[in-house]
Amino acid sequence: MQGQSNQQAYDRGITIFSPDGRLYQVEYAREAVKRGTASVGLRTPDGVVLAANRQISSPLMERESVEKIHKADDHVGVASAGHVADARQLVDLARRRAQGEQLRYGQQIGVETLTRAVTDHIQEYTQTGGARPFGVALLVGGIDAGEPKLFETDPSGTDYEWKAAAIGGDRDTIQGYLEEHYREDLDVDGGIELAVSALSEPEDGVVNAEDVDVATITTEDESFHSVDTDHLESILAEIDETEEESDE
Amino acid sequence: MNNWTQPSTPQGNDDPSPYEPELGSLPDGSQGDDYGENVNSTGTTTIGITTDDGVVIATDMRASLGGRFVSNKDVQKVEQIHPTGALTLVGSVGGAQSFIRTLRAEVNLYESRRGEPMPIEALATLAGNFARGGPFRAINPILGGVDSEGSHVYSIDPAGGVMADDYTVTGSGMQLAYGLLENEYAEDLSLEEAGTVAARAIKSAVERDTGSGNGVFLAEVTDEGVDIQGHNDFDAVI
Repeated sequence: MQGQSNQQAYDRGITIFSPDGRLYQVEYAREAVKRGTASVGLRTPDGVVLAANRQISSPLMERESVEKIHKADDHVGVASAGHVADARQLVDLARRRAQGEQLRYGQQIGVETLTRAVTDHIQEYTQTGGARPFGVALLVGGIDAGEPKLFETDPSGTDYEWKAAAIGGDRDTIQGYLEEHYREDLDVDGGIELAVSALSEPEDGVVNAEDVDVATITTEDESFHSVDTDHLESILAEIDETEEESDE
Repeated sequence: MNNWTQPSTPQGNDDPSPYEPELGSLPDGSQGDDYGENVNSTGTTTIGITTDDGVVIATDMRASLGGRFVSNKDVQKVEQIHPTGALTLVGSVGGAQSFIRTLRAEVNLYESRRGEPMPIEALATLAGNFARGGPFRAINPILGGVDSEGSHVYSIDPAGGVMADDYTVTGSGMQLAYGLLENEYAEDLSLEEAGTVAARAIKSAVERDTGSGNGVFLAEVTDEGVDIQGHNDFDAVI
């Protein structure tokens, strides 16, 4: 780390490199992502699972108003971590691009093409004077020519493709859990179970069905589905049972 | 160090209009309706036929002024616009040439960005959008191509109408060519047989339509690519 006064000269504008080649504002944006609650995405042969932690700060708050998983098009969902308002702008861009593809070519947009449109937009905000980078990371999941696909975007405008990934707070812990437990032959319910278990790993495995928002995009109908709380509770009950069995 | 400038919005192209090319712009269409006798048009008969092995496209070779004066006797009216797709020039020569250049650029952009060729149906939708949104008036081309879904032929009209068919004809000699095709088209034609049928249909039109004449260009489109050959003499291909 540079001395405090030295660093200040290079972290005011995002268009200014530090002498050691860093863009401090972009790095700060990544910190903003870490301050957000986590989201998880993973691929199964039958579809993509997106899950987000949506704990609320007060019992008086309407839980549904915490939006971290969005439908971008019939066949694409987006989960976010970081600044929710920034995420909404990017989700709206993704929605417009998805419909633009229908207008222009009469076709469903590919998940990678859509992710690239979003990351191209994010990148512009790392190179434009006076602008601020997007303080959000996204998981873009969907079906592309019958195949489940999952991509991550980060505040620099880089995209990564994953089998299973976590973004946001406690990312390292959750990613470690995914690396240990992910299997490529999971079914969709198994994927939901793994995603929710991974999200709850930093809280010692304790999670309330109401505190997670889960969606799937399945290959069978190439459609986005929100997973309702009842279904989640039944899956969580299974997790508890298997844990009790293994304890015995 | 504190000289903040007014925040500016990045000038990206996040939402290109689906009715316009991404590169360049549509030509200004306000030059008036002086088409007809002063503008080279292809009069023309162009044919597209699908087979299981690919698509055959056939065109005559005449350019004319208002269908009454032959302004060129050796015109190639079918051009490759896609690794496995071709488009015919029908109507205003300038409009059709500009249309072809525009679509080629779009096809190349699509493929280089996505790493896979544009599906022919997507190309047909885009061509219809441009025909409708732009001043490529007085064009009525046929798009033929092969992709993972198989063989396709579309006719595209000046108002942007896009219609898929097993075989289709556009241009001033279309009734004459259809007359022959309605008798001789069959679903199980081979690519070679379809080429012969298409050449015969062009010959029918060339004999009686003043806007069509001077020989035939044949394009064979398969999943391997596009092969275009010109013939001044029909005997070689009938």
